[in-house]
Amino acid sequence: MAGKSGRSINNVPEAPLKKMILSWEGILVILLVLVNIFCAFYSEFYNLSSLLRQMPIYLAEVFLLLPMAYILVLGEIDISVGSIVCLTATMSCIVCNTGAPFIVVILTALVVGAVCGAVNGFILTRFTELPPMIVTLATQIIFRGIAEVVLGDGGSISATNTEGLILLTGKVGQIPYILFLLVILAVIFAVVLGKSTFGRRVYAIGTNRLTAHYSGVHVQKLRFIIYTVMGVCSGICGLFLLSSSFGANTTTGKGFEMDAIAMAVFGGISSTGGKGNLAGGIISALIIVCLRVGLGQRNVHAQVILLILGILLICAVALPNLIGQARRAVKR
Amino acid sequence: MKEKSLLKKITGSREALLVVILILLFAVVTALSPSFLTPKSLMEVLKNNSVTIIMALGMLCVMLVGGIDISIMSTAALSGMTIGMLLKYEKISSTLLAFVIAIAIGTLCGALIGLIISRADVPPIIATMGFMYIYRAMAYLVSNGGEWAGAATLGNYKDFANKSFLGVNSILWIMVVCYLFFFIFMKWTRTGRKIYAVGSNPNAAEVSGINVKNIKLMVYTMMGFLAGLGGAVHVAVYASAMPDLQQGGEMNVIAACVIGGVSMSGGRGTVLGALLGALILATITRALPLIGVSALWQNMIKGVLILVVVVVNVVLQRIADNNALKGREM
Repeated sequence: MAGKSGRSINNVPEAPLKKMILSWEGILVILLVLVNIFCAFYSEFYNLSSLLRQMPIYLAEVFLLLPMAYILVLGEIDISVGSIVCLTATMSCIVCNTGAPFIVVILTALVVGAVCGAVNGFILTRFTELPPMIVTLATQIIFRGIAEVVLGDGGSISATNTEGLILLTGKVGQIPYILFLLVILAVIFAVVLGKSTFGRRVYAIGTNRLTAHYSGVHVQKLRFIIYTVMGVCSGICGLFLLSSSFGANTTTGKGFEMDAIAMAVFGGISSTGGKGNLAGGIISALIIVCLRVGLGQRNVHAQVILLILGILLICAVALPNLIGQARRAVKR
Repeated sequence: MKEKSLLKKITGSREALLVVILILLFAVVTALSPSFLTPKSLMEVLKNNSVTIIMALGMLCVMLVGGIDISIMSTAALSGMTIGMLLKYEKISSTLLAFVIAIAIGTLCGALIGLIISRADVPPIIATMGFMYIYRAMAYLVSNGGEWAGAATLGNYKDFANKSFLGVNSILWIMVVCYLFFFIFMKWTRTGRKIYAVGSNPNAAEVSGINVKNIKLMVYTMMGFLAGLGGAVHVAVYASAMPDLQQGGEMNVIAACVIGGVSMSGGRGTVLGALLGALILATITRALPLIGVSALWQNMIKGVLILVVVVVNVVLQRIADNNALKGREM
């Protein structure tokens, strides 16, 4: 079996600066700068203000990345989030159209998301033998199925009462609210994962679940909390999607789970668990958002951007493994 | 102790249980809507779900070695779109050649995935997710940015799905041949048993001299082969090729396997189980509109069914484990 790269004992400590640049996050920061330089040359409209103006459409997805990082560190996966986004957007749009105060709309989104996440968490903690992939595959179909039933024959709904929704798309100066909220949440999630006991326990479970259980970590309680938080964040994502598109349909949020996982894995969070940190994930999310804005300005089709994303993703995981194998082969 | 009761035999064997469920489903649906159990209607069910039924075989092999492949429908789209465009612009006209090209593309795609997974140690879900994007985008690029190849442009090819050979529809022939081959291959050939060995315990398989990496490569290549075939079949059945064909269909294939009792952690699952799983899923999709349930409810019922099946499976397994423990007590 391949060793976990970068963890071998005979790693010689290097100079701090060199180490920082050579770490995965360092490489990502360099890539982010390169992507921005490329975009600036590629599109004449690409600058800070246009970036801030066009960013919000792509930022909603990043809310999913934050808890997804926790789930990946646990060594698990949640592919139902795209459907939760669809269901929350649908439900809150319906509540919004009844003329309820906007705070109720926000609460609906959060509660629906939390309930969906809790359902995932309940099944997964009650039947621990089941692989998360299968359970969330089933709930992925179920949640979108509920949204389809609620939406009825037309398959879409548009918001008639847009006052509150417009409020969400507001800005302070040039900076949209969504970016503020995202930064605050990102800092909280990163600190909790990196510095708190809770976060260390998540890594412990991801590295070795049985050991964590025997050392007194409430594995199932922790998993339940994380899946519920995943649902809540999907609710936030659904709300912002609703506010930018003033409506929901049966394809809302389709494929978001894959995008969130791609961002996290590209950011160096291993899908086998116990490895990676949120800083990397957030930088990779920024890279992808910048790339989408820049290429989108020149009308490059979304499929081409996905092509680039796919290649980046595979290279990001395959290259370190291949380099590690080559090094071991040379040493022998 | 030697004589097992019939009930126990049925609940003990996954396939027997699935057959009972399928028969019950057929009985209920036929009672509610007699038009279901006609040869024409059944043929329709098989034809509309042929892609899922064929690909369930490949997914069975992939899941047996503990992997997963979510890129299959993108591979199918790439191969289907390529032959669609070739036929549209009259580069080729032979149906056989179109099938060969689609299968060749699929096999290449699968081999590339297999190489990345087996040689670079990339987790299957991540690698196939990347290729899901890449192949889908390539299908889009092949289509000149979203062109369709409609029935009018496909020439002789579109008639393939309606042709009969020895009185049986050609699409059905493809399915039968695939299933017969895999049934024999998985049960009685050395390579087939090696796949099970790798899935049950990769380390033990490695130590006993099986080249685990090559088996993995082979499994994903086979999956690619079937995905290419599935793409060609899709174009034939629906008489059209578009870059977003079967988008999201990979989940149906995985669901069919899971219902059929294929374990996600590898080593457990049979060809018969995959077939029954795919058939149950197909029957439900067809039956709901017939018995007056709105098509809107389809996905929800499908999802609940998958959940119920896996949960019941766990509960049965727990009971079986408990009984085994009790049997050992003095």
